Amino acid sequence: MSIINYGAKEISFKVVYYGPGVAGKTANLQHVHRLLPDGSKGRMISLATGDDRTIFFDFLPVAAVAVRGLATKFQLYTVPGQVQYNMTRKLVLRGVDGVIFVADSQWDRLRDNLESLRSLEENLREYQYELDTLPWVLQYNKRDLPNVAPVDYLEFMLNRRGRRVPSFEAVAPDGAGVFETLNTVSRMILLSEFGPEQGGAA
Amino acid sequence: MVDGVVIHEEDASKLQGVFTRFLDDSGARAVLLIERSGQLLASGGPAGALDTVSIAALAAGAFSSTGAMAKLVGESEFSVMFHQGEKKSLHVSTVGQHAILLALFDEGTTVGMVRLFAKDAARSLDAVLAASRARPRRVGALANPLAADEAGLDVAG
Repeated sequence: MSIINYGAKEISFKVVYYGPGVAGKTANLQHVHRLLPDGSKGRMISLATGDDRTIFFDFLPVAAVAVRGLATKFQLYTVPGQVQYNMTRKLVLRGVDGVIFVADSQWDRLRDNLESLRSLEENLREYQYELDTLPWVLQYNKRDLPNVAPVDYLEFMLNRRGRRVPSFEAVAPDGAGVFETLNTVSRMILLSEFGPEQGGAA
Repeated sequence: MVDGVVIHEEDASKLQGVFTRFLDDSGARAVLLIERSGQLLASGGPAGALDTVSIAALAAGAFSSTGAMAKLVGESEFSVMFHQGEKKSLHVSTVGQHAILLALFDEGTTVGMVRLFAKDAARSLDAVLAASRARPRRVGALANPLAADEAGLDVAG
């Protein structure tokens, strides 16, 4: 949910990284945190289990370029990917302005990607959000692994709605594709919020 | 899609007025008004020394998970959450349907005082937020639609 604070001259948005377990959502955030200079980021918080699986969420606030004199801030969250944590995933989606769906490109994770995308759609409905009107992008992560499905195939499986969304190949731990994905969804959020076509994303 | 929150300058000063009164009456040290999605709306007291953005995100997370627990035991929500520390404690309570109020306090006051005045403050804050919601979102610098090239921001800096 966007917060416009004319008093503090600030706009802030919530972006959620969604996707199946171990697809690389936290790795995306860690790369953003590593690369941004101190002035452009806040503290990164990870609520994880002992074996580094996210149990509730990761959180990283980042600052972007000002828009018409208003400082623009994005609060980045990840959700836990494991199937059993659906209730916490739903909680994190509250007030979301845009979603990055991080898919695991490996053949044996295709079903998990589909199930996760379906759960995203269901969980958004709880808040009266629709995936077809919300700014969102797809990231095909782990492209460096040997057993990955071709991008065309992933597109056919995951990007087949009435409105095709931008998609990116990524190797999150190396940073490949991480900022391209984030910058695209942040642009879509800004245009959806303040662009000429209110409510419709680019 | 649910509309976002807009805080106009006049709302910001009204919120500060409520905070000042609350801090005086309750003896709390600092206060944060947090949207339930985790975003900080306003803060009062010497909150500048705190990492308010992180606290806001964590408090909203804790509050929302407490709310989910409430539903599991047949309550619609728990309206208050209290974390007691050795020296500093946190009191979190609801402000209408959309926000929560977090008060940081120490041994200079009691949880009873904070709870008592947080209820009053919540009513006043909710009224300010409701009035703010009724005002137009896009004014001033944002009155005209954003062109595509204006949204070409890079968080990579």
